[in-house]
Amino acid sequence: MRSQTRLLLELTRGHRWRYVLATAVLFAATLCLYGQPLFVGIAIDSILGDKVSSLSSKLIEFAGGRAWLRAHLWPVSAAIVFATALGGIFTFGKMRIGASTAETIARQLRDRLYNHLQRLPTAWHDRAQTGDLVQRCSTDVETVRLFYADQVLEVLRASILLLTAIPILFWLDSRMALVAIAVLPVVVAFAIVFFARVRTTFKALDEADGAMTTTIQENLTGIRVVRAFARQDFERSKFQLKNAQRLEKDWNVLKVLAAYWSMSDFMCLGQMALILLVGAGRVQSGAMTVGALVTFLMCSGLYIWPVRHMGRVIAELGKASVAIGRIDEILQTAVEQPPPTPALLPDACDGAVEFENVTFAHRESNVLEGITFTVAPGTTLALLGPSGAGKSTIAHLLMRFYDPQKGAIRIDGVDIATIDQAAVRARIAVVMQEPFLFSRSIKENIRFARPTAGESEIVETASMAAVHESISAFEKQYDTVIGERGITLSGGQRQRVAIARALLHEAPILILDDALSAVDTETEAQILEGLRARRGKRTTILIAHRLSTLMHADQILVIEHGRIVQRGDHQSLVTTEGLYRRLWQIQTALEDDLRDCRSDKRSALQSAR
Amino acid sequence: MASELEEEDFKGQQINLALWRKLAKFVFPFKRKVAGLVLLAVTLSVCDVALPFITGKVIDAIRTPDGALARWAIAYVATCALLSVCVFLFILAAGAISIGVCADVRTAAFDKLQELPFSYFDRRAVGWLMARLTSDCSSLSRVAAWGTLDIVWGVTTISLMAGVMFWLNWRLALIVCLVAPLLFFTTWFFKRRLLKANRRIKKTNSQLTAAFNEALQGVRTTKSLVREHQNAREFADQTAAMYRHSMQSAIYSAVFMPMVTSICALGIALALWAGGLDVINQTISLGLLVTFLQYAANLQGPAQELANTLTMVQSAQASAERIQGLLDEPLVIEDSPQVKSRIAAAINLRSGDVAIDGYPERIETIEFRNVSFEYKEGQPVLHNFSLIVQAGETIALVGATGGGKSTIVSLVCRFYEPTSGQILINGVDYRERSLRWLHGNLGMVLQQPHLFSGPIRENIRYGKLDATDAEVEAAARLTNAHSFIEKFQDGYLAGVGEGGNQLSTGQKQLIALARAVLADPQIFVMDEATSSVDTQTERDIQTAVETVLEGRISFVIAHRLSTIRNADQIIVIDGGRIVEQGDHRSLIAARGRYFELYSNQFIHDREEALLRAEA
Repeated sequence: MRSQTRLLLELTRGHRWRYVLATAVLFAATLCLYGQPLFVGIAIDSILGDKVSSLSSKLIEFAGGRAWLRAHLWPVSAAIVFATALGGIFTFGKMRIGASTAETIARQLRDRLYNHLQRLPTAWHDRAQTGDLVQRCSTDVETVRLFYADQVLEVLRASILLLTAIPILFWLDSRMALVAIAVLPVVVAFAIVFFARVRTTFKALDEADGAMTTTIQENLTGIRVVRAFARQDFERSKFQLKNAQRLEKDWNVLKVLAAYWSMSDFMCLGQMALILLVGAGRVQSGAMTVGALVTFLMCSGLYIWPVRHMGRVIAELGKASVAIGRIDEILQTAVEQPPPTPALLPDACDGAVEFENVTFAHRESNVLEGITFTVAPGTTLALLGPSGAGKSTIAHLLMRFYDPQKGAIRIDGVDIATIDQAAVRARIAVVMQEPFLFSRSIKENIRFARPTAGESEIVETASMAAVHESISAFEKQYDTVIGERGITLSGGQRQRVAIARALLHEAPILILDDALSAVDTETEAQILEGLRARRGKRTTILIAHRLSTLMHADQILVIEHGRIVQRGDHQSLVTTEGLYRRLWQIQTALEDDLRDCRSDKRSALQSAR
Repeated sequence: MASELEEEDFKGQQINLALWRKLAKFVFPFKRKVAGLVLLAVTLSVCDVALPFITGKVIDAIRTPDGALARWAIAYVATCALLSVCVFLFILAAGAISIGVCADVRTAAFDKLQELPFSYFDRRAVGWLMARLTSDCSSLSRVAAWGTLDIVWGVTTISLMAGVMFWLNWRLALIVCLVAPLLFFTTWFFKRRLLKANRRIKKTNSQLTAAFNEALQGVRTTKSLVREHQNAREFADQTAAMYRHSMQSAIYSAVFMPMVTSICALGIALALWAGGLDVINQTISLGLLVTFLQYAANLQGPAQELANTLTMVQSAQASAERIQGLLDEPLVIEDSPQVKSRIAAAINLRSGDVAIDGYPERIETIEFRNVSFEYKEGQPVLHNFSLIVQAGETIALVGATGGGKSTIVSLVCRFYEPTSGQILINGVDYRERSLRWLHGNLGMVLQQPHLFSGPIRENIRYGKLDATDAEVEAAARLTNAHSFIEKFQDGYLAGVGEGGNQLSTGQKQLIALARAVLADPQIFVMDEATSSVDTQTERDIQTAVETVLEGRISFVIAHRLSTIRNADQIIVIDGGRIVEQGDHRSLIAARGRYFELYSNQFIHDREEALLRAEA
């Protein structure tokens, strides 16, 4: 709770003077607002009637004397319009300042969250739930914004209205003033207590609504299954049940709201009645003037409703505190820290990669153990092994997505733990297992790798990644927007666009992490051919399942259970017993299978049945 | 899709009465509640108008010590009480209408969606449809109930107020009433702009949400491209736009509110000026002046509500249009009138051999005769496709993605109908058969099987709603799902999670197979999963598939070599045409496209198997 209040306060840093200004302006506006009931009261007492007080006599003298005013009266009306209009200008000022403060805070909070999320370590993102985080960044930020934009200002407005009214009313008639605010504490307390007690009713509606939405969503996403089993009637009854349950919960909420509004209306109206009737009695006994009574009535009309609203606002403050707590959880998490005195990599980096006895554990289990290898600049290293063996982790460690527990990883002889993460990553072009493309045009997506690249270079790399033809088939070609706001690319197309992006990147190291899995064999061969043509220019690390992808590598590591179990090139691995050789033998098995099928049709028929 | 998502933009300057009249049928069942609501609104107006009147009377009664004061005091308190009761009742009445209409409209839309053809769903995202059934339904029903209340209350209050004022003093009434139209148009002017501004805010807000989503999903890519700075800068542009839009809306409000107060003050000032002179000349009483002052102050309520309601109706009109559009959408694929009458005629013929539409129940042959199909005009996906399938045969469809395999399957299921050509069941065009009958005879397992949240048992039972627990278990045993289900702590009662996300793809496949087995369909359709599953599950699925295919007409988009090899006919499809057709041996011997596909698949499968065995 304390840290939530701290963050709520911290966010206002640099804007507090604006709140002070808003309060001052609000105060001025409120004073003007009360001009109207005061002037009306004075007019009734001292101009229409003949009761004169010290204040009214001065004002009347100033406006031209009672006799003249009795004949004309318009200056009073003009004063009312003037006071209200002036108050309006102040109100405008207060609303403007209030809005710009709240919106600025919200804007800064959003920017801060966005930046923070981007810089949180990969290990944190592995555990994070995207849906929940997005909720925090949107709904919770909105709740906090409402806190600054509405709640703070509403409470402020109601308080100032009340604080300004009380001295005026006490000055007019102190006993009457007590009567005029007697019911208000009850109104506020009622709202706070009431909404605290009926929270479950609202929650039940939210839950019923969620359940119904889920039912609809499941029905719509599974519409093929529904049709295939002709289950429309069943689905209807399922939906109707949820719909009816929601209706019931909604009805409960309505009952609660009806009770609140009617009771609180009754209390507020009761407050007015109290003023009118007690006031009338006091006027009758001569303790008070009619004008003062009218002033009291009009004043109460100005503050009663905002004060009632304040009760609801206070009841809702808990939401802001929950929301800011959830946001704070994100902001309290430490972001990736660059080394305090980062070592520098030479600009003309060769791309020599070295792993020395690297051990890495993730979520309490060793993923890699004692990994040692070197890759000479410009050569190709292939990693082969079952999924889960740790191949991708090697790539992730090289990119400093994680840092190893033991051992060292070097690029050009420099330990990457001593280099700024960004500097390491800038020297590596990567295509990840499930490549991510941004919801932009294809051209922009490729260009992300090198913002200065020209059109022809983009087309060139796209051709090398064998995706130029597919792109050209789109109506808008390279300007086609992909993702949510545009078209959906197939898995193979996505991979190839990501390859084009990586190829455009002029980094000395290229990592292809199972980057060709959704690409057909022919296209794969074509892309690999293109890569071989550029051999010698950059160090390449290839992770793949297909032998055809990695057989031409200079060095092949077979990885199982986080260890290197075999190493060598194609020739040497084919001749030693092991996983690589067994994979190679599938080719022979295929030939046998095809031969069987032709030579012995009868036996094939039997085995098939 | 994009264009449909963007139609949230503000439109509809004119109120479309015909549209609202069409939708009025949803309010009709609530006509008694509506009548009650109207009555309450009128009562409320009477109270609202009475209070200032009584206030004036109380003030005048102060000077007349004959007990009038007490009478008017009681009247005041009684009116306050009545008003509160009215508030209580009208919230209940308007709320009951609102939520009732909402539920009914939603049900109508849901029912409609259960029958609409798949081509309708292809063009719309689930999220878009969801918005129709949730936010559109509620904004529509809100207008129906609260709009009615506000209009009745606003109109009655203004008329009553005007009536009472003219009755009390027509000259003063005229002066005060001058302000009403000014209030109305000011409110209308600003509310419309506020509505537009708020739409923009909503849109920008959803863009911000999308940006957060993208930042989270693409965080590794961002890091690898070292794009944090650029991303942040671009995001800052978006938050700046959000700031601008929000400020615009705030400034409208900041101008609007003081303007309304000032206009009201103008009314009060005018009343005081003219009325005050009358009091001095003793043509009216002081109490009457106070009454008029209060009326002038209270005018803003109804005037604002009326203008508000108008903008609310305008903004709900877009929702109304979309919902009516959904309800009016033609079904396209449905039983023809002839089929319907045949179903009605066959109702007495019911027996095991006769289907509900009077034709034989058993499916002997399915024939594609020169079938062509296009999803979009001018972009055919299937050309002149012909194929005859006999009872008990398994058809393996193989070929590159996008070649037309899924289209063939969807056509068999009559999720779509051929653009030209015919599909015949037992020699009869399937458009002459009952749609429900055909679907009731389908079994289907998709690549990413869809399960409904709830226990495993209910998911399997979806295949046959009246199946006993024993039957469910038998189906699960038959498809090897039993062994893994048993391992769950809750067994068959274990929940599968939303969309089945608590289970692996392999497990989902097994449950979907069990579901299909339980349905005991004559036609079985399957899109085999390509994603890798562990060796044991793979073996389980393989034998389960063999069991399910036994004795049924099956169409399988095949990826497993075992399925392909065992198929009675293998159809190699490319570019919407059959390029090769035959059984495994003859196609291998032909050394064509199939030979190539098979060889690649063989190597791929074995490699996968080997790597899995090592893991």
